[in-house]
Amino acid sequence: MKMIIQPRDERTQPARIIAGYPQTPLRSPKEPLVKRAPTLSELSGPLEVAKRVKLLGGDIAGQGEKQAIGQLIHLRVRVLDEDGAPVGGAVVEMWQANAAGRYIHPNDDDHAPPDPNFYGAARVVTDESGVFELRTVKPGAYPVPTRDGWWRPPHVHFSVFGRVWLARLVTQMYFPGEPLNAQDRILNAVPDAAARDSLVARYIPPGVEPYNALVFEHQIVLRGRAATPAQP
Amino acid sequence: MMIPTGEATIGPFFPPRYVDAGANDLTVFEGRKAKGEAIEIHGRVMQEDGTALENLIVEIWQADAGGIFRHPADPRHAQADPNFLGWGRAATDAQGNYRFKTIRPGAQEGRAPHINFMVMFSGLMRILKTTMFFEDGKDPVLMAVPAARRSLLIAKGNYEFNIRLRGENETPFFDD
Repeated sequence: MKMIIQPRDERTQPARIIAGYPQTPLRSPKEPLVKRAPTLSELSGPLEVAKRVKLLGGDIAGQGEKQAIGQLIHLRVRVLDEDGAPVGGAVVEMWQANAAGRYIHPNDDDHAPPDPNFYGAARVVTDESGVFELRTVKPGAYPVPTRDGWWRPPHVHFSVFGRVWLARLVTQMYFPGEPLNAQDRILNAVPDAAARDSLVARYIPPGVEPYNALVFEHQIVLRGRAATPAQP
Repeated sequence: MMIPTGEATIGPFFPPRYVDAGANDLTVFEGRKAKGEAIEIHGRVMQEDGTALENLIVEIWQADAGGIFRHPADPRHAQADPNFLGWGRAATDAQGNYRFKTIRPGAQEGRAPHINFMVMFSGLMRILKTTMFFEDGKDPVLMAVPAARRSLLIAKGNYEFNIRLRGENETPFFDD
């Protein structure tokens, strides 16, 4: 399982320093990043993280009397590599705000009510076709403490372990048709329009299972191609 | 070819249980002790103005005591220590300090002993990657760094590895 990792098109990745996001200029390197030729060390990586961390089920909307408040949604996400080959067995960590836009986190005490039935985090493993599914509620938008009119649109955070160290990814997924998407400083830090659009999930019209939740599909592409692609 | 998904900051609100108890101890895996010399690595993470950063995520990846990676890309992986995963995660405390217990990695063909680091934090739009070394030497990754900055990648004492995201003594990060 040898992987090849090539440089990314910078326009498909976010700017490191963002106007109006005051932490970014304090935390991004000033010196130029050092180019190196990847070796085995960077082109290998942990494949058995699931044995080290506690998996949390993919149903975070809850059942029975423990159901979270909000619009029930079903996320179907496929993890692929740059060849389009599914990445099975990948650990995916996910977290999001509740329907009111509040996180279960000591630092989020701003405005919106917590939901005692919503913890808002999952940790799952992709199946052989690279897919994981989550039953959750649609996250709410929330104002950023900059207090200058920036609100985060509804979004879901993903942290993904690929097959090699350089494929490790932390990203955010957005929802289609949200008016706040157009002004979000994080989403719009990605210069390329097609790359930005690929961060927005696809709405699937009702009529498919599960019948009692709105379905969204999404695709996550990890860096890397197999050195020897699978034969057709 | 598909376009790799755009990165984004981990943000300030990843769940506290994102860092599992014991995830920063690589010397024990599934209840069994790894082979080799147990060591501790610690350091402080700071931003441009020198402020220590709390609740920042550090992940590491390394070879085992024999210099073997637990991954099929390593031709020797069948001989990897079954009791060593090689991956760990820690969060920084209120003073900006992280700490790992691990095994001193062996050398691999063409590489000096080293540990790969990854930093994720609110306001960091992309994961920052760097590499810690135990001593100066002819390692190709270390040699890729301008000579004047190489000492910043070499751990001090037993073993201190501070990470400065920006500013004075800024840690060299890699453009992969």
